[in-house]
Amino acid sequence: MATVLRPSECTLLLPKGWINPRKFEDAFERCGDALGASFTTVVVRIAAGTKMTIDVILRVLSFCNQVVAMTKRILLVFEGGHEDTGYLDRMGFFEHLPRSVEVSPARPLFSRAALHRGGNATLVEIERFSGTVAAEMSLIARLGAAVQHSCATRGDVAQIYSSVSTIFSELINNVAEHSKSPLDGYAALQRYQRGNEVRIAVSDSGIGIIESLRPALAAKADPAANFNDVDLLVEMFRKGISRLDNQDRGNGLMVSAAHAIQFQAELDIRLPRQRTLLKPANDQYPQNMAYSTAGLPLLWGTHLSFALKLA
Amino acid sequence: MNDDNGWGRLQGRAVQQQIVSFIEDRPAQQVFKLSMEGVKQIDASFSSEAIVAVLRRYRGTKGICLVDVTDRDILFDLDLAAARAEVPVPVWIDGSIEIVGGQPSPGNREALQFALERHQAKAAEFAEKAGFSIANASTKFKQLWEQGFLMRSESVADSGGVEFVYQRIG
Repeated sequence: MATVLRPSECTLLLPKGWINPRKFEDAFERCGDALGASFTTVVVRIAAGTKMTIDVILRVLSFCNQVVAMTKRILLVFEGGHEDTGYLDRMGFFEHLPRSVEVSPARPLFSRAALHRGGNATLVEIERFSGTVAAEMSLIARLGAAVQHSCATRGDVAQIYSSVSTIFSELINNVAEHSKSPLDGYAALQRYQRGNEVRIAVSDSGIGIIESLRPALAAKADPAANFNDVDLLVEMFRKGISRLDNQDRGNGLMVSAAHAIQFQAELDIRLPRQRTLLKPANDQYPQNMAYSTAGLPLLWGTHLSFALKLA
Repeated sequence: MNDDNGWGRLQGRAVQQQIVSFIEDRPAQQVFKLSMEGVKQIDASFSSEAIVAVLRRYRGTKGICLVDVTDRDILFDLDLAAARAEVPVPVWIDGSIEIVGGQPSPGNREALQFALERHQAKAAEFAEKAGFSIANASTKFKQLWEQGFLMRSESVADSGGVEFVYQRIG
């Protein structure tokens, strides 16, 4: 019988240029199943000149937390040196990164996010909240104030503020109900000047909203229990689905989508083994515009990203 | 509310308790107006707990409506939450009443519009105007009352029997 040598280290290589959720998944797939397989060491290698969108930053942060929680060794290598850590530092990435994550060349000596908090109109610091306890509402107020600051010169700032605040409130409140994980969740937003886009991201490290809902739906004999994963997701965003027998519940995603559609936003949903992209058409998120990929490498949690287009 | 925004279920439940307690302390009072003065925004979770759940609880027994709504946009989330729960929410804006959230069946829309346009309405009056039988008009008003769109009280009909009078809320 031959002996097979199992590799003990895997490397997630984030290439140069902008990394959005799709490019992140490409890199994540090439890396191998870092969390699901028996690797003992994970290296995240960030090429010089790599720029991650805000939703990817939260996914990487959650990934690091999960690697640490599984007692694996993890090393973040910034090939561009300190030049490439500055932006992440400014967002508060290193404040939230577990101390046991090794960083090369080194962690910043002090947090620039703490130093300049709220000072940049296009950039918002990452907010952390519990995965199991309802978030403080001051957090929503901070995120709302941030988007007001960021879009202050626009005529539609009131509408943007209203929608962004509601989306954050509903998505963050969903985490405590569905994550079932002691690991923290994160929320952040960023306005991208060139694309005239506001990207809202909320990530947790839980079991994923589908896994949270399915047993409860089956228990109450809800017809939605028989839906496939994509149909169930689309239904959550279109009509709302609750694990409880209560029509007052389960409307958080539906309401978030109703706000998002006003900005023709694409919704990106990453669950532990699948990713779904909902594209808007005719002022709704139709079933036939849901693009899903299953069988992805494990990334615990529900990672939601709304890309709002500003006119 | 502690500030001008209503976020999330926890805050919504706290406000719900305050409203319920206020109503329970006034058993003889039939109509309650929830003032939205100073409220900048409420999300769907807050709306579900603080408004939709309260209106459902008192459906058919008390009339509850929203007043002092200066910005229609703040009703966006409430409308979605109440529509999904099929709970009508009467709202007074600029001196006229409209219903957000749950809506009547197509067959009852005309009857509701008739009732909302006047202080009080009787089935016989609507039957005459719309060309329905009194029994048919009565059924429509009864359904609208049961579903929380209207309030109802009894009066003595010209014939000496009991006649129901339907009122808009607020």
